[in-house]
Amino acid sequence: MRKVFRTKMMPILASVLTLSLIAACGSTGEQKGSAAPSNAPAASASKEPMKISFWTPLNANPKAVVKNLGELPMVKEWEKRTNVAFEFRHSSGNTPQDDIQQYGVMIASNNLPDAMLWNWDSVQGGLPKMFKDGTIVKLNDLIAKNAPNLKKIIDENPQIAKQIKADNGDIYVLPHLRVGQYGQYKTFSGMMIRQDWLDELGLKAPETIDEWETVLKAFKEKKGVIPFTLDKGTPISNWDFAGAFGVPGIGATANAGSFYLSGGQVKFGPIQPEFKQYLATMARWYKEGLIDPDFASNDAKTKDAKITSGKAGAFFGYIGGSMGTYMPALQKANPKAQLAAVQYPVLHKGEEPKFINTAWDYDNVGTVITSSNKHPEETVKALDYLYSQEGALLKNFGIEGQTYNMVNGQPQYTDLILKNPDNLPISQAMAKYFIANYGFTGLDDDRYNDQYYQLQAQKDAVKIYAKYAKNAYSVMLPPVSLTTDEAKEAAKILNDAGTLLTEQITKIVMGALPLDSYDKTIDQLKKMNIDRAVAIYQAAVDRYNKR
Amino acid sequence: MAKSIRLLWDDVRKNRAIYLMVLPVVLYFFIFKYFPMYGAVIAFKDFTPAKGVWGSDWVGLEHFKDFFESYYFVRVLRNTFLISFYNLVFGFPAPIILALLLNEIRQKLFKSVVQTVSYLPHFISLIVICGLIIDFTNRGGAASSLIAFFGGPSTPLLNDAGYFRPIFVSTSIWQEMGWSSIIYLAALSGINPELYEAAKVDGAGRFRQIWSVTLPGLIPTIMILLILRIGGLMEVGFEKIVLLYNPNTYETADVISSFVYREGLAQGNDYSYTTAVGLFQSAINFVLLISANRISRRFSGSRLW
Repeated sequence: MRKVFRTKMMPILASVLTLSLIAACGSTGEQKGSAAPSNAPAASASKEPMKISFWTPLNANPKAVVKNLGELPMVKEWEKRTNVAFEFRHSSGNTPQDDIQQYGVMIASNNLPDAMLWNWDSVQGGLPKMFKDGTIVKLNDLIAKNAPNLKKIIDENPQIAKQIKADNGDIYVLPHLRVGQYGQYKTFSGMMIRQDWLDELGLKAPETIDEWETVLKAFKEKKGVIPFTLDKGTPISNWDFAGAFGVPGIGATANAGSFYLSGGQVKFGPIQPEFKQYLATMARWYKEGLIDPDFASNDAKTKDAKITSGKAGAFFGYIGGSMGTYMPALQKANPKAQLAAVQYPVLHKGEEPKFINTAWDYDNVGTVITSSNKHPEETVKALDYLYSQEGALLKNFGIEGQTYNMVNGQPQYTDLILKNPDNLPISQAMAKYFIANYGFTGLDDDRYNDQYYQLQAQKDAVKIYAKYAKNAYSVMLPPVSLTTDEAKEAAKILNDAGTLLTEQITKIVMGALPLDSYDKTIDQLKKMNIDRAVAIYQAAVDRYNKR
Repeated sequence: MAKSIRLLWDDVRKNRAIYLMVLPVVLYFFIFKYFPMYGAVIAFKDFTPAKGVWGSDWVGLEHFKDFFESYYFVRVLRNTFLISFYNLVFGFPAPIILALLLNEIRQKLFKSVVQTVSYLPHFISLIVICGLIIDFTNRGGAASSLIAFFGGPSTPLLNDAGYFRPIFVSTSIWQEMGWSSIIYLAALSGINPELYEAAKVDGAGRFRQIWSVTLPGLIPTIMILLILRIGGLMEVGFEKIVLLYNPNTYETADVISSFVYREGLAQGNDYSYTTAVGLFQSAINFVLLISANRISRRFSGSRLW
């Protein structure tokens, strides 16, 4: 019976470990609290200094430079101003799967932090299920009474109220928002390619799948490199070429991202005939050596190494996190190396891409307050500060005089960020001092992007990806919420379907299974009741539209 | 009843030291093995962490039914059984053979060097072992280059479902063979040397001595260990599987424990369902252990209880 014990013991061990950690953190935290000055601004400050434990996976940028978000000068200043000390706990590991697993252990052990920040798409059933389970609390009243800044934004922007509310009107999250004058940019990722090789081979940036094939073939034959690479974190079909065929692919775990809207009807991408066409193309490309042969086992680090050592020609990446870090690394070895953004691919010349990795104003990232939080009012107050003008400036630009100065009324990063004395790339220099280049409760600020994107290639990229981004809203599912029963049923179906799909798709692309076996996969998905999952999401979309 | 308690108490007083020595072991089993068993009830409940183990709603056998009807049921059952079965067929005799061979070596230094080297893998962390295996079998790795040299395909071997079980089983043998042989070597040293002398006087050669003296001397140990192994036949630990598999090899690699890990912790957080699956596995093992013990008692006289 060892197996049962092992699964049972893990949460217990984990909680023992966490408990000892909390105990260890406690002593240092207290000192911090007492050191905080009492002349903090009254509006969002708590009367008593307090400690709030806060769980969130650490984004790759801060992970490279700090061990804990508490080390950030911005966070320390935020604590001073609000009198609330957040004690951050992060999950370890490098993949979204690691975060999901560690979140699972944490919840199973029922040893909850006071607040948690994540992309809540990662949890099956999402926020309504967490509320029903008693893990988190409802925030409507707390926001009305303690979050004047957020309340104002919600009142002024009905579309945001629609996005962050559950169907019954409950609010469970203090959202990460891109809204208002400085919240226009919403697409930060897409295809990237070695522009210097394109130029060298006399090729133009590919637009259609056929042009992509020509380019990748040329990379393979003339440059002898891996033409297109990807890693486990964004499994094949996630954000590569499936969109060109008119369907979304699968994610690292099966989730709502595989559904899309076609004329108001919800559909499941991987069971459409277009998806099979996509698979046929990928299998052919793989056979011809156009796709990294190790794509199923690459992790993010292996992929980074392949790109920065000049062994790969094209990939899906982020303007800041990928392009911004790969370029300097690439150019160190080869000053001529250039990366460029390429428009999301389409099937036929002249079409406009629709499946674009873009976000709603609220991108499902936000902070929830758990049921074990003893000071929900103070927690909400402190987080609400990040929605104020002053707070957003602190979050996105850090401390005036240290990381930014006001020039003509606009915040300008200092050289500590832009030309970091320790030679940190900008993305990491930022991450060492404040929270601007990844999702966090509060408001994003486009002025950060304008300066963050130092390279011309990045400034171009943001425009290229933004060009058709609005199309995405016609096919993307809105941020719907499911009832507990629906969530449970859909989760069960998607769990089963997810394993099957990753397995079959990987095998078909790698040629271990013939393309025609995908028909059986679709039959099997139907047996797993995928149509029921579609119906569930359809109902949720209908409810969303009526909000 | 009262009488036996009095007898026990007398015995405790008489052998205080021995009972004191056994106490930590009893406590260990109680705290870490029996106490957590109460958590298994969530297999029959709809467990939500916030409601706790007792507060969650009962659902009866629903989770078991779900598992038996699952698309993955037959596959994980087959994989668990096959991997374990190969491990038994190839992995069980290996330490016995190694012990017999070592026993025949008269050169002391050589013997201890071989022993030490063969124990070593047992002490290396599993993560490191799997890292080595992945590197060796990767494109251009030692093992795959060797296969390519003899005309095989030059691919990462662990991307091929057909290679998973051979790699898994052979590396398990490499890891554990030396360590497991210790118990046999101990049993061998317990065989009365006079038996060998008598056999020699009767004109038995080395092989005859092994066959007629050494092996019969080992049989009780072999049987006990075999019964224990059969009791664990439906169990393959998830750690090594999870470290080595990928979607390409789920077909031959996904076992009950890795399924439980994935659905329960890594993706689904479906605690009740996966507890039911784990409980099902334990129930099979329980039946296997009892049957193996019965069979062994009847045919060889060796038994656990």
